[in-house]
Amino acid sequence: MNPPGALGVLEEKEEEHLSTPILGPSIHSDNPQERIQARRLRIAARLEARRREALGEYLDGKKESEEDQSKSYKQKEESRLKLAKLLLCGTELVTNIQVATDIREIHRRVEEQEIKRQRLEKLENEVKTSQDKFDEITAKWEECKQKRIPQDLWDMLNTQQMHCAGLIEDKNKLISELQQELKIKDDQYVKDLKKQSDDICLLLERMEEQVKHVMKTFRQELNYIEKAFEVERRELLTSNKKKWEQALQAHNAKELEYLMNRIKKVEDYEKQLNRQRIWDWEEYNMIKIKLEQDVQVLEQQLQQMKATYQLNQEKLEYNFQVLKKRDEESTVIKSQQKRKINRLHDTLNNLRSKYAKQIKQFQEENQSLTSDYKRLVTQFKELQKSMRHFALIDDKQFREIWLMNEEEAKDLISRAFDVDRIIHTHHLGLPWTAPDFWFLRNVGPISQQPQKSATQILEEVLMQAEEEETEEAASEAESYLDLPKQISPKTTRKILMLLCDESGFLIENKLLSLLLPLEKNECYLLRLDAIFSALGIESEDDLYKLVNFFLKYRVYHSPSSQEQTSLLSVLEPGKQPDLEGQKEESLVEGEPEEKEAPPSSRLIHPNDVLKILEAFVMGLKKPSLILTQRAKLLIENNSLEQQNTELQMLLQKYLDSKINSELQVPPTRVFRAPTK
Amino acid sequence: MQETLATSTLSAPRRSSISTQEMFSTADQTSSTGPQPSRPSNIPPPGKSKGWNSGTKLRRMRRIIAEDPEWSLATVPLLTELCIQHIIKNFQNNPILKQLLPEHQQKVLSHLSPELPLAVTANLIDDENYWRRCCMHRWPVCHVARHGGSWKRLFFERHLENLIKHFIPSTTDPAVLLDLLPLCRSYVRRLRVDQLLPPVQLPGPPRSGELSDSGSEGETEEPATDHYQLRDLVAGLSHLEELDLVYGVKDCGMNFEGNLFLFTYRDCHSLAATIKACHTLKIFRLTRSKVDDDKARILIRSLLNHPALEELDLSHNLIGDRGARAAAKLLSHSHLRVLNLANNQVRAPGAQSLAHALAHNTNLISLNLRLNCIEDEGGQALAHALQTNKCLTTLHLGGNELSEPTATLLSQVLSVNTTLTSINLSCNHIGLDGGKQLLEGMSDNKTLLELDLRLSDVAQESEYLIGQVLCANREAARQRTLNPGHLMSPVIAKGPEKPAR
Repeated sequence: MNPPGALGVLEEKEEEHLSTPILGPSIHSDNPQERIQARRLRIAARLEARRREALGEYLDGKKESEEDQSKSYKQKEESRLKLAKLLLCGTELVTNIQVATDIREIHRRVEEQEIKRQRLEKLENEVKTSQDKFDEITAKWEECKQKRIPQDLWDMLNTQQMHCAGLIEDKNKLISELQQELKIKDDQYVKDLKKQSDDICLLLERMEEQVKHVMKTFRQELNYIEKAFEVERRELLTSNKKKWEQALQAHNAKELEYLMNRIKKVEDYEKQLNRQRIWDWEEYNMIKIKLEQDVQVLEQQLQQMKATYQLNQEKLEYNFQVLKKRDEESTVIKSQQKRKINRLHDTLNNLRSKYAKQIKQFQEENQSLTSDYKRLVTQFKELQKSMRHFALIDDKQFREIWLMNEEEAKDLISRAFDVDRIIHTHHLGLPWTAPDFWFLRNVGPISQQPQKSATQILEEVLMQAEEEETEEAASEAESYLDLPKQISPKTTRKILMLLCDESGFLIENKLLSLLLPLEKNECYLLRLDAIFSALGIESEDDLYKLVNFFLKYRVYHSPSSQEQTSLLSVLEPGKQPDLEGQKEESLVEGEPEEKEAPPSSRLIHPNDVLKILEAFVMGLKKPSLILTQRAKLLIENNSLEQQNTELQMLLQKYLDSKINSELQVPPTRVFRAPTK
Repeated sequence: MQETLATSTLSAPRRSSISTQEMFSTADQTSSTGPQPSRPSNIPPPGKSKGWNSGTKLRRMRRIIAEDPEWSLATVPLLTELCIQHIIKNFQNNPILKQLLPEHQQKVLSHLSPELPLAVTANLIDDENYWRRCCMHRWPVCHVARHGGSWKRLFFERHLENLIKHFIPSTTDPAVLLDLLPLCRSYVRRLRVDQLLPPVQLPGPPRSGELSDSGSEGETEEPATDHYQLRDLVAGLSHLEELDLVYGVKDCGMNFEGNLFLFTYRDCHSLAATIKACHTLKIFRLTRSKVDDDKARILIRSLLNHPALEELDLSHNLIGDRGARAAAKLLSHSHLRVLNLANNQVRAPGAQSLAHALAHNTNLISLNLRLNCIEDEGGQALAHALQTNKCLTTLHLGGNELSEPTATLLSQVLSVNTTLTSINLSCNHIGLDGGKQLLEGMSDNKTLLELDLRLSDVAQESEYLIGQVLCANREAARQRTLNPGHLMSPVIAKGPEKPAR
């Protein structure tokens, strides 16, 4: 129960309604007069309130001062005061119970204190009296001890007993009294409890009532306040409306005024506008005329420009036409050219194909011919073989027949000789000498050409050389069956040629001079003949031997070449350059060295020293001979070159001639093709 | 069976869909005896022979279950719904809450039973609605505003209070309270225990009637009267700010016995140590506990220089002058703002010592000496003290046998003092002249809002006039609170006020 707290809370609640500060005659107001008024009022109230109903007065005074305040504010204030009073009274009512209990408690305490004091007093008195009694009794005990007469003692004891009983009775009485009091207290406790519960009930009741009441009043006051607010709002609305209307009217009046002003102004402006317009119009006309003149001038210029433009256009058109024509012509020419190119290409292609065909054909022909040729060669070889075979057989037969016939003839001869001897001796008596005929000792056929002479072979070889080389090689191979196969006829020929060139010293000078006018081959042949005769080579076998020697020489020369050189230098110093020249040649068979071998192996013996010397002299002469030969050859070569150039020129001329271009297949191509 | 059905319906959105063989086979395996839904008549019961079954399975494979026209997706509970149901059902064993989405958390919380053990819920659930349900479930009337507006705090405070109230020393297991300690330590800020039961000796009080009365007969009396020792409990409550104790039995009614209200020295020493150790304590109340001078001195000695104490209430005890002297000493050695010694036995010397302390105190706002017996000597001393005091706003001197001299001095104080807002002088013998003098004093006072003079023999007229002045003062105070800008210093409604004029 704390009244200020509850009040505060409620006040706060109440104050929620208030939004504006109190402007009434409060002493805290800003207005000093109002403050003075408030103070005055307060003093008056204080003075008068002692005898009069202060509340009404106070409120009246307040109301008087609040006349200028709004209704809602008044209502609010009223309600607030009313509620505050209500709350205050309510809380007072509720707390009254507490206060009542408090005072009751105080009274009780006072009473209690009094009773307590009395009780204590009583107890003290009692203690005192009982102590007295007790003292009396204890004193009497002394007396008892002095008693000698049992009767007295008994009486005394009896009285003592009675006294003690009295004391105990007193005490018991006191105890019972106190217990009585306790009982009364217990009863009072119960009563107090009851009272307490009653009080609590009352308190609760009052609290509830107050709550209800407060709520009700609050609600009521709220309603009042709301109503007041509504009324005020309505009033405010009406007054505002009024104000609004007034303002509207004023506004309308002003609007009218403004309108009038505006109209006036508009008229003014219109006048000004008219003036301005006229002035503008004149100016405009002037400018227009001027501009029109300008326009005319410009139009004239434009016309001129147009004319020039037309002219130019025509010119350009003409040029264009011309160019077009030219273009057309050029296109025609181009197409023609194209066509021509195409045609030529066609022909070219045709010719190419023809050419390729021909090549093929020729190649085929060539192939067939070569095969034919090969076949024929083999046939020829076989034929030769068979012929040789047959020749050998024939020879044998011939020999056999010959031998047979010779035997017969010898028989006949011997018989004839016998006859003759008989005749001589018997008939003539003459000593008979047996005639010595060569044919008698002859066995076998007499051959006119028992062996091919070396010259003959040479001749054959040289003749063959003059013929086709390939054929010669084949025939040569046939002709020198005995010769080692590796030695080609070409080589043989070359060897022979060299031999003939190198061993010129063996030929007599006369012969050489004789031989000069002769042909090359013949010359060689004669020379070789002379050389062979000088060397003593007569038969074919000798020739072969020579060849074989060359071959062997080569084999044996290669290791001992070092020794040979010294010898060679001694023997044939003149041949040295030739030897070197021969070394440069592509033929590496070593025939030139072989040629020197025969003198080294065979010809070195004292009988031939003369010959060697002779040869030495000849060798000295040899370079001049060669040089002369070379000069001749050079001249020949030059003439040949000249000839060649001339021919080339001719050929070029021929090729360049216009007829070629017209030909389908130009000869240049034909020329080139085979070379390819 | 149920589950498989549920899953099958869930997996097949429409029941008309052709059920696959697997579904049927699982149904067969799980419910060989149970009735199958919509089973066709020609299919034999699945308990016959295996060969038969395998043959029929092929046929069943193609069977179509007839469409149920009343079926709709709405009848199928969502999986989340089921999960939440499950979580709610098993919350006690497996509390899952923090991992859920907020809306699911809400759902779970709104369906949790309020009877779940506190060990599960205490530190897990912060939701006010849940705790509100718990509170409503346990107590029909709950005044949540008195518990800082927190339902959880309310629940734990009241729960703990209940336990302490019904704790019977040497009978109840103290572990009951200490086990609760880790759960409620961070929520309990206030303990209001309006009864502390003594140990059972005789047939117990009606509230503890259900407890057995055996075993305590032969004990000696001295230790048996000790109450529950709050030391361990209070030490564990780290946020405790208010402690309100009554060493006595409530509603004993006709079973009243003197030893039900014994506050022994051992209790007193234990309590003193407890409150001394509790540094967060702001409000300490020990009422109706027969605290006499010596015990009050013990308690107050332990409260000297307490860091947080603001309010001390020792009303309805037996404190005399020596206790009052101790309280006066406490006033100058603490930041006490409210001191309540109502309904004690403080007399003039005690009041004089209090007045001496009050003269230069700057903390005390409220002093209550209701129903004491300080008499004029004490009252005059207090009035003298108030002439220098600039802090006290509320003074209750109701029922103190005060009379005219005190009123005279008080009227002088009223004209000088500007901080007092409420004085209660009810139930005194102030008398008519005293009332007039008070009225005179009031005429110069602008701050006093309440002056209770009921039942104090003051003339009605002066009482009324005083009421008028108080009204004006209230009005002025209201003005000040409404527009504090007009004043030099801001004014709090009930706080100390400075004169603006």
